[in-house]
Amino acid sequence: MNTEALKDLLYRIADDQLILGHRNSEWTGMGPLLEEDIAFSSMAQDKIGQSLALFNILNQLGEPPADTAAFMRDESSFRNCIFVEIPNGEYDFSLVRHFLFDTAAAIRFDMLTSSSYEPLAELANKIRGELKYHTMHANTWMKQLGSATPESIRRLQESLDSALPYALGMFEQSPYEGELIREKIFGGEVLLQQQWQQKVAEVLAHTQLNTPDWNIYRPVMGGRRGKHSEHLQPLLDEMSEVFRIDPNAEW
Amino acid sequence: MNSLDPRVIRLPKVGQPGEILPKAPLDQFSTFEVFVQPKEGKPFQHEGIVHAPNLEMAYVLAKETFTRRFTCSSLYVVETRNIFLSPLTEGSQNAYDLISDEDDNAAQKEPYEIYHLLKRGKQHIHAGTVQASTPRDAMASAKKALATKAVLNIWAVRSADIRLTSPDENDLWLTLPEKKFRDAAEYKGGDKLKKFLEGTQ
Repeated sequence: MNTEALKDLLYRIADDQLILGHRNSEWTGMGPLLEEDIAFSSMAQDKIGQSLALFNILNQLGEPPADTAAFMRDESSFRNCIFVEIPNGEYDFSLVRHFLFDTAAAIRFDMLTSSSYEPLAELANKIRGELKYHTMHANTWMKQLGSATPESIRRLQESLDSALPYALGMFEQSPYEGELIREKIFGGEVLLQQQWQQKVAEVLAHTQLNTPDWNIYRPVMGGRRGKHSEHLQPLLDEMSEVFRIDPNAEW
Repeated sequence: MNSLDPRVIRLPKVGQPGEILPKAPLDQFSTFEVFVQPKEGKPFQHEGIVHAPNLEMAYVLAKETFTRRFTCSSLYVVETRNIFLSPLTEGSQNAYDLISDEDDNAAQKEPYEIYHLLKRGKQHIHAGTVQASTPRDAMASAKKALATKAVLNIWAVRSADIRLTSPDENDLWLTLPEKKFRDAAEYKGGDKLKKFLEGTQ
């Protein structure tokens, strides 16, 4: 098995989950409803838990322990897409990102349940219930607000239009794409993107939002190669602040 | 009428002579009652209330509001106005004594869920399912079929009004037993404090 290809894949997924988990946790205590605040915070916690599980697998492959991997790496070694690092904006944008990202995450992990790399297949199978809830939550909100009032429809549409170029950057290919597919570790970004577009269109068909014309967007790429926006470094500084002050602290 | 007191704001409008107006719609979400099954084989019990714009949203929000800690094997929600209550009794009086047991002999009957309150301050617990035509008829059927001991209060809910967890949603709680970090006891704060205090003496 090509370990470099595998590690690259694991870092991409782990970093996506960690960075978006941290971003979404910024809503804790400020959500639009008490119940939604709890749900969104729980899902952020799930994402960080999923990244922890992936960092633990990486650790087994000789990479640093989870806390070191999460808190001590340089910005340029993060493999997350730019989509997950851009600021939360208003709640409509955060919801749209949650919908677009979690739809892809659920399909990605579903593909990974049949990965030839067993620890990854086991993890994907284990967290299927969490992912099912995340997409159920996202789809229900999209259907609700996507056909509720002129204001809710307009706001979701504007957020969708501004999020889609970034969302397409989720599928930036790995230099190891061919190896991953050949060794049946992962079915590949192209297949994932096809299924994602289909699913996104399917949910949007239940709303008054426009079905995206995928050809008009220019994907915002670079994150998978460590080329990030100006928003990642401040997030990393805040996320790792306590750990960097005292790496041996226990709580 | 401008007031900071919500009770004053909620007072009905006086209106003008000859004027007929529709009742103002609610300016807030409805409430939905949440029932949780803590373990497979155990009865569902009432856990609390969520605010939501509709039944499906209520289900989605109830899942994290009421089942993010401890164990859960299933969940369902029903709009508050679809819950029907018997009189609430005190002490040793059985709420079923205040219910008629006359069957209304309706041709069309459908399932209703029955819940009992056995002790003040506790939750209503699912007692069984009966066939009935109305909530009143459901309580009458329950009096015959389910009144094996004294209860303080009875709830009846038409089964069709409930948003159940479907069989393919049963894995929503798969990783819940591992989320011990949501349980305050897991942090053993008391032990740490004790150790710290001992260390400073």
